Amino acid sequence: MERENRLWRLILLALPLIVFSVLVIWPLLSSFYYSFTNWNGFSSDYDYVGFENFTRIWTDRLFFNATVNTAIWMIAAILLPTVLGLALALLLDSKVRGSKVFKTIFYLPICLSAIVVGQIWVWIYQPDWGLLNTAIEQITGERFNYAWLARPGSALYSVIVAWSWQQTGLSMVIYLAGLTAVPSDLLEVCEIEGASAWQRIRHVIIPLLTPSTVVVVALSVINSLKGFDILFIMTGGGPFNSSDTLAMHMYNESFRKYFMGYGSAISVVLFLVALTIIGLYFRQLKKVDEIYG
Amino acid sequence: MAELATTSIPTSVPARFNPWPITIFTILCILAVLFLAPTIGVLLSSIKTTRAIALGDLWSWPDTFYLGNYVEVLSNPSVHRYFLNTLLVTVPATIASTALGVLAGYTFAKLPFRGSNMLFLLIVAGMFFPPQVILVPLFRLFNSVGLIDTLWPIGLVHTALGIPICTLLMRNFFATIPNALREAAILEGANEWQVLTRVALPLSLPALAVLATLQFTWIWNDFLWPLIFTQSDDMRTIMVGIVNLRGQYTVAWGVQGALSLIASLPTLLIFLFFQRYFIKGMTMGAVKG
Amino acid sequence: MAEVTLKNIRKSFGAVEVIKGVDLEIERGEFVVFVGPSGCGKSTMLRMISGLESVTSGSIHIDGADVTHVAPSKRKLAMVFQSYALFPHLTVAENIGFGLMLNKVPKAEIDQRVRKVAQTLQLEALLDRTPRQLSGGQRQRVAIGRSIIRDPRVFLFDEPLSNLDAALRVQMRLEIARLHKELADVTMIYVTHDQVEAMTLADRIVVFNCGRIEQVGTPMELYHNPANTFVAGFIGAPAMNFIDGTVGDGGAIQVGDISLSPATPVIRRGPATVGIRPEHLSLVGSEEADFDARIELVEKLGAETLLYLNTPFSDKPLTARIDGSTAIGEGENVHLKVQPDSIHVFPV
Repeated sequence: MERENRLWRLILLALPLIVFSVLVIWPLLSSFYYSFTNWNGFSSDYDYVGFENFTRIWTDRLFFNATVNTAIWMIAAILLPTVLGLALALLLDSKVRGSKVFKTIFYLPICLSAIVVGQIWVWIYQPDWGLLNTAIEQITGERFNYAWLARPGSALYSVIVAWSWQQTGLSMVIYLAGLTAVPSDLLEVCEIEGASAWQRIRHVIIPLLTPSTVVVVALSVINSLKGFDILFIMTGGGPFNSSDTLAMHMYNESFRKYFMGYGSAISVVLFLVALTIIGLYFRQLKKVDEIYG
Repeated sequence: MAELATTSIPTSVPARFNPWPITIFTILCILAVLFLAPTIGVLLSSIKTTRAIALGDLWSWPDTFYLGNYVEVLSNPSVHRYFLNTLLVTVPATIASTALGVLAGYTFAKLPFRGSNMLFLLIVAGMFFPPQVILVPLFRLFNSVGLIDTLWPIGLVHTALGIPICTLLMRNFFATIPNALREAAILEGANEWQVLTRVALPLSLPALAVLATLQFTWIWNDFLWPLIFTQSDDMRTIMVGIVNLRGQYTVAWGVQGALSLIASLPTLLIFLFFQRYFIKGMTMGAVKG
Repeated sequence: MAEVTLKNIRKSFGAVEVIKGVDLEIERGEFVVFVGPSGCGKSTMLRMISGLESVTSGSIHIDGADVTHVAPSKRKLAMVFQSYALFPHLTVAENIGFGLMLNKVPKAEIDQRVRKVAQTLQLEALLDRTPRQLSGGQRQRVAIGRSIIRDPRVFLFDEPLSNLDAALRVQMRLEIARLHKELADVTMIYVTHDQVEAMTLADRIVVFNCGRIEQVGTPMELYHNPANTFVAGFIGAPAMNFIDGTVGDGGAIQVGDISLSPATPVIRRGPATVGIRPEHLSLVGSEEADFDARIELVEKLGAETLLYLNTPFSDKPLTARIDGSTAIGEGENVHLKVQPDSIHVFPV
């Protein structure tokens, strides 16, 4: 029996593992290799340059800029879609009428591509007739045509808002699932002990949603690291690199300037950051699982 | 002494008017409008002429539904090509990645071995890292076999990148099938493949639906890989097409809006009809494997 | 004046009526047990008293005040749940002091009162632990502690021992009985489907069936004078034997060919269901016997033995309970006598 099992394991796992190794694992390892070279994407020969790419990272002003922007995005990712998603989930959990329709509306953006989302919000941020500026004009009664995406001070944040519009629905859905897992008798204890709605939320619901919060935060942060498509179509990293992130910077260096070796080095850094986050995520998940079972 | 015992119990009063449900409903309505506004706005602008949009007549319901934008989009041969290319990539990759996920997920669920958990985690972790890290090597790989500027790399990469989520969901699902079913089948003389195809697979149709929905949406909506792997217009997929056509329709906002909506139609329809599969997939995939 | 009064309580879920007119008065300091089969409405009744479930019609009074529409937290009661309902993210101390924390009682006072309650329940060593580090019995005590600290007038228990294994259940039963003695002023309402818990803990038992009260009385009243076959069959294990029979003109009971004379004459006449508890049948010599039977099955339990008997007057085997040291075997024919003051007669 055991021998047959072994055979079947081999047969069944062969194809998935081969595909995964060839197209994911091996390129991953190769990336590390290329980060030590100066390959330009075309020529078949290139030199081994040791840690030169990594020292270059250290002095690259653009890299530093991209890191700061990425960090800002990650922080916004933890705050915006998480808090908003939680608020929406709590509101929708109260058996309000039409909750199904509301859920669909908030969740709809998730099925749109990042490109379409970016396109929609470019339209919203349009200085002359965009939704945002016309709305402000109607409120203040004065002409307002601030160019949200063309000004360095606001470009990155404008993209983050657009991204959050899509991401919030996902957080909401995860929190809604988490809410169903809150034992109803704990909520009944709150009724008997006379907890107000706010007390109930603060002392019971939010702590018991911790498993969901871990997931939501991790997903938001990882997705913020991956954010590329929406940035590409909305600002391309500009103006003046004010919305440049590590992912965008890597793309520019590799496929615009053809410093593929250097680009690999950047991607390695990006990967290590993601790895740390994933590691923390799994560890936190395990800890939380023990408490909340 | 507790304050509870000394105060008197209030006498009964039928429930008073509770303001909360109305407040919550109002708040939700406001938020819903805010959330819908972007999409509705694009919809409205797609049925207006460029001139009308530029004049800033934003929320006015157009007197006539100007269909010219849609005509422009739907008659553009490039758009046809983009759509076809996207379909040619998405459908096979969805099927392939789901199938591979079934194979791997079944093995991890029903035939675990020493180290299988670690291997499983390794594969699942693949969901989380930024794709930028394998951009360059994959470019080199496909370049060296001359597949750049074809649809093959996109399909293959999406198949490979779909393996983590598909394996995760299928493994979780197969784990819910009682081992006794498999053992009973084996006692009847079935081999593992028959158990998988005759017992496990028929039971897993809901999970497969979830995966198909997720994968189709994800692959259809993708931008990065087609961007990297295609150069000529013939080979572009729809999302790259949208970016590209910006040059042609720079000020034709209505056309761009129509294009965006048409490009989103497949995933939108799938979402509206299979919403619960979507939600199930997102929550199942997000929670720990 | 009664501590808890239920007047004509009715409860419907949609079109289905689950509580069909319940009237009950519970005195202060009483330990009342609601007992009955699954789905009989006893838990629903308890939850209506607590306020977690609304009342469709009727009224509930606690300590003289009409609380039918009053929020649970203002009814001066506490509730122990079947699943204990402890907060997994709080320590034992925080769990017990939860209600006080909500009411913004100063921390020092919370600590002091929690400590006192913990002392009574021997939980002092566990105050810093979290629920997942506790055993089932310890968790139950924490749940009780959280209830005690509220100083309630009425203490509600919703099948608190169902999740414990048999040995632990006996131990916790004793603790609850002890608690009742200590908090003599507090009225306790306890829901269970286990009639042993009911018999041992209750001052009075309320037997529920299909949303109605079948009988209210002390354990012994229910045992000796059950009002109908449902109560008779529910209380006491093994269950009472029911035999079809008739009551003749002279008050003699006829089952098949056998005639039985009860100690107190029976008033009604005509067809009846005769009830005899297994423990009221004894093995005797042929002269004193009321009837003969053949042993179909013997179950030896050590201290006692159960006999399953085939009789001519009943299709189902009769159960008899005899002393464990009697030597007896299957297939034997025996003579049985019925204890004359323990023959029950119920209308058909």
